[in-house]
Amino acid sequence: MVNDDSPVSRRSYLKGTAGAAAVASLAGCAFSGGGGGGDDTLTIAGTVPETGSFSSLGQDLRRGYELGQARMSEQLDRDVELILQDDESDAQTLRQNLQQITSNNDVDMIWGSFSSLLVTAGSAFAENQNLPFLGIAFAYEEPHRNDNYEWTYAPFPKSRDVARSTLGTLELIPESERPTNVGIWEPNSGWGREQAEYWENRLGEEGYDIVLRETFEIGSQDFSTLISQSQNAEVEVLLSNPTPPGGITAVNQMQSNNWSPQMLKFVRGADPSAWWSALGEAGAYALMCPGWVPGLTGNGNQRLREAYTSEYETESEFMPVNVGGSYNLTQVALQAVQAAGSTEAEAIRDALRSETFQTVIGEFGFEDNGLPAEGDLTAPTGQWWDGAQRLAYPNTDSDRSLDFRYPIPPWGER
Amino acid sequence: MVAGELVSQSIVNGILLGGIYAVAALGLSLVFGIMDIVNLAHGHMLMVGAYVAILVFAATGITPLVGMFLAMGLLFVFGIVLQKVLLKHVVGEGIEQPIIVLFGLALILQNIGQLVLGGDARTADLGIPGDGIDLGFAFLSLPRTVTFVVAVVLIGATWAFLQYTKTGQAIRATAQNRKAARYMGIDTDRIYVITLAVGTALAGAAGALLSMLFPINPFVGWSYLLKAFAVVVLGGVGSILGTLVGGVILGVSENLGALYLGGGYRNVVSLLIFLGVLLLKPEGLFGSGGGGE
Repeated sequence: MVNDDSPVSRRSYLKGTAGAAAVASLAGCAFSGGGGGGDDTLTIAGTVPETGSFSSLGQDLRRGYELGQARMSEQLDRDVELILQDDESDAQTLRQNLQQITSNNDVDMIWGSFSSLLVTAGSAFAENQNLPFLGIAFAYEEPHRNDNYEWTYAPFPKSRDVARSTLGTLELIPESERPTNVGIWEPNSGWGREQAEYWENRLGEEGYDIVLRETFEIGSQDFSTLISQSQNAEVEVLLSNPTPPGGITAVNQMQSNNWSPQMLKFVRGADPSAWWSALGEAGAYALMCPGWVPGLTGNGNQRLREAYTSEYETESEFMPVNVGGSYNLTQVALQAVQAAGSTEAEAIRDALRSETFQTVIGEFGFEDNGLPAEGDLTAPTGQWWDGAQRLAYPNTDSDRSLDFRYPIPPWGER
Repeated sequence: MVAGELVSQSIVNGILLGGIYAVAALGLSLVFGIMDIVNLAHGHMLMVGAYVAILVFAATGITPLVGMFLAMGLLFVFGIVLQKVLLKHVVGEGIEQPIIVLFGLALILQNIGQLVLGGDARTADLGIPGDGIDLGFAFLSLPRTVTFVVAVVLIGATWAFLQYTKTGQAIRATAQNRKAARYMGIDTDRIYVITLAVGTALAGAAGALLSMLFPINPFVGWSYLLKAFAVVVLGGVGSILGTLVGGVILGVSENLGALYLGGGYRNVVSLLIFLGVLLLKPEGLFGSGGGGE
């Protein structure tokens, strides 16, 4: 019998226990003494993309946030009000929504939407309002460094963590069978360039040959040229961070052009369940790095799954990845408020900067600029298999994880 | 240095894609050439056709090659209703009114698509294997080849309809001079209805063909409208051969642009060619440069 809350390792268990004890004691000090009050409401504003191009992920984000809100209400001796609106996958609408929510409510904290585009828009608003902001699905690092974020925190794998996780996944392959030729399809965006740089540098340092690095336009419908180039360059490992529609289009065309790499990682592209509904078996073997994957253990994973199946009356063994990702965000919020002992914006921000957090994706703290502390965060890599996303890296003893499947067989043998 | 094989592969891929672009543009060209209206909802009608094929495939497993005929039929009827209910009041009343009506229709179709089907990309399966023929200098993808052949047949059928049927001849007469056509006893109102219906049916066919190669979401209409415009300008308004050639030029230039300059410049190259033709030969490669009244 597998226990989803079993530790990944003895060391992390000990660290986690110590950390949890520290947070609990801080929280105890804060609340038992009445220093943080107890009767005022914690009001959280946020948006999710329930319509528009990211709509396939909106419901998952909302569910994770709502499960987290319920958990926060249990754990904090105050009401927790969550005001979520549909941002229509549009940065302008997102900003208008946040403006309207914060104008009509005494908002203490803001939670992000999905994708660098939308999360960055929410973050800019929060920075302007001096409100703590937490955002996931936001791997782009550059804004954190260049815009001097003070209020924005991302409990989520960033580009450098994604590259580290890719390396870790490759190392699961026995050395004699390990591929060497890496191809990178780079979306022509800031994050596309940043992620490609990390992949090229990190994998290059470890001796992999970057045999192809080509850009493509976000929204592109035709990947046939990139496919021909990859085939010509004998790409074995294909890495990219397309949008979900772009990723689905690319795999479709790989199939019709009868070419496939031996390993495929589409960060963000393969995140939504729409991946499988659009591609079916053609989508199997694809890797993604969505921030959370079924198969992770410890730090409330078991409780999350129970709450999810009970609340949404589903028998599904595999939760959507973005439910876990957004729930992880709420765990950070909970622990930050507990540590702050109040809903004061500055106190929560200071707690975000100084505390270590235990969440369903592991244990980590933040750097001053809001990035997860380098090396702290495990960037779990999932793999599509039999209609579900399962944990491929790191290894855990959960039956929701799998032995990383490599290589991808040719189309004719699938 | 780009290998010769990559160049030949890009050209082959571009030609195969160009066939569908031509079908997508043909309906737009027909409506523009005969009714003098720019159908801004053409891309969204294409999206509707794609969804019809996808939903028929999802519900019954019927290949989109068959679903295409249902899409064409539905959009043919839609075109009739559109002309009789909405456009007849604004056609001939200047350029602005039809544009506003059709722009509004595009937004309505996009939002209905989103409301009913969500924003997720969907695709249909052609039902033939993903392999193809290795020509030595290039790989001929079977799904792309089949859709190209169907596209060329559709273009040929449209040409034959306009060339050899009485209705087709009346449409051409109306395109040449609508007043004279009216004096000659041609019911130009009926011709407008048929023209719009044929144009929207062709958009439906193009959508069904595209659904076999590319995932479709409710937002694709604008991008295909742009491509259809480019093809019409390249080939010349009203020229069927020009539409086919324009489609192929667009497909090939997109692929070669992506190969030499990077995928990020795919659309830039095609738009530069589009602007170049507008500057140097505004009537298009096969356009007459005149006509109308």
